[in-house]
Amino acid sequence: MMQRAHLTACVTLLLTASLAAAQSHAGEWVNYRDAYRAMVQFDKYGGPKNLLLNQLQVLPRDKGVLGQGVQLLIQGKTVQTSLALDATGRTVLPLLKAAYDENAVLSPSRALGGFTIRPRIALALRADGSYDDAELRGACEQALGFARYADNSARGRQCVGVRLVFAKQGEPASVRVRAQGAEHPLPLTRGAAFAGDIDDDFPVVTYRFGPVASEVITYNAPLAIVPLFE
Amino acid sequence: MKPFFALALAAASTAASAQTPATNPMPDGSRDMYAGLGVVSKPRYEGADSSKVSALPVLQVQWSNGLFISGMSAGMHLSNRPTVEYGPLLSVHPSRDESGSGRIIDGVGMTSAPAILPLAERLSRSNRLAGMRDISARPEGGVFFNYYLAPEWRLTSSVLYGSGTDRDGARLELGVQRLAVQLAPQHTLSFNAGATIVNADYNRAYFGVSELEAWTSGNPVYRPGGGIKDVRVGARWNWAVSPSWMLVTNVQATRLVGNVRNSPLVERPTNVTVSAAFAFRF
Repeated sequence: MMQRAHLTACVTLLLTASLAAAQSHAGEWVNYRDAYRAMVQFDKYGGPKNLLLNQLQVLPRDKGVLGQGVQLLIQGKTVQTSLALDATGRTVLPLLKAAYDENAVLSPSRALGGFTIRPRIALALRADGSYDDAELRGACEQALGFARYADNSARGRQCVGVRLVFAKQGEPASVRVRAQGAEHPLPLTRGAAFAGDIDDDFPVVTYRFGPVASEVITYNAPLAIVPLFE
Repeated sequence: MKPFFALALAAASTAASAQTPATNPMPDGSRDMYAGLGVVSKPRYEGADSSKVSALPVLQVQWSNGLFISGMSAGMHLSNRPTVEYGPLLSVHPSRDESGSGRIIDGVGMTSAPAILPLAERLSRSNRLAGMRDISARPEGGVFFNYYLAPEWRLTSSVLYGSGTDRDGARLELGVQRLAVQLAPQHTLSFNAGATIVNADYNRAYFGVSELEAWTSGNPVYRPGGGIKDVRVGARWNWAVSPSWMLVTNVQATRLVGNVRNSPLVERPTNVTVSAAFAFRF
């Protein structure tokens, strides 16, 4: 009798699993409540965070589908808002009680073939494009402080530098370091904006903290400055 | 970050393990609620060789002040740190009677002396609970403490007291959970493993046989001590079918160990519970 009951349950599960597989491409939404839950941690964090940006990132399942003009829509019973995404898929999520209570849905303005979302911490950008080494270290330490608050596995990590992420189109990225009266360029490579991103084709420049006080100068505005922990 | 759909939707009528959903920060005055219904195939009682299929109510509610109801448990999150959860916990330990194919005596109360079974029935022992004293559902009180090794890895623990015939049974549940492995958009898989440690009063109530019960049931007298009662592994698949509907599927294997395994009431030390339920998110 036990085997028969389990067999019936297993058959039911297999049927639902196959149905799920057939519909897996329809995953073009995320609950606002789940996004809220992920993003509100930063708001509740009581440590220093004035040099940081907390943004929600849309991560399409497939590479290259997040083109220009895609927006993230918040759709509830009364709440209807659209949020512009930058080239890395990030936006600032407004924390709205009405959207939460209405169990609103986040969906892209055009089909992406399925996506997930993640909270992302980056460093605030400066209008003049010039970043003092001490300031970058301070911001990275703020990001590490928050990472340790939210994730116990970050406790053993240290700040080692920052990654500057640039747009794929437009002027070639140029970043130089000024130290001890001399100025030299930092090498440009291709990589992901954030760890775990499927799109690993952004122009990126890595600046690692060293013993000499220096200044990082960007000649085009980066999309993001990402703290690096090791 | 906390994984999405990490909510441990609790099955109200599955195993007695206490459920503590992950802390869920939300706007003041808000709540997050799931309610639904499904089916469960589970052993007739812990250690039974036979299983039964029954309806499975599902309920989980969390409020902005930290209060939660999760299946047969209720509690309150008191921690304001995302890596630690603790607070008071209340639970209801399921009742146990001889319901099933071997049920002969009706209305045996939890404190009344059980009637003596006919000799033939005692000898056949087709239902090892026949002639055993019934134990009503018991409210239990205690605390829980969970620690996140990483956002997706959670160590869980809870202590609950108040189960058993004389309400003096205590159990400590220890576990580890791998939360929310994303298979595809809207599909997540979680894994858990754990063990239950109980005191002697608990084991004697649910797995022991007193002299009176031995006479009335035909089971040999058995007085187990405390210790590890069971170990378990499980998996949960959550499918968010739509923004409001979720299919929650659970598989859990439990193996009775130690004193409990040798109880005359235990026909089969390893049992599997399978459940599937649809839940609506309010």
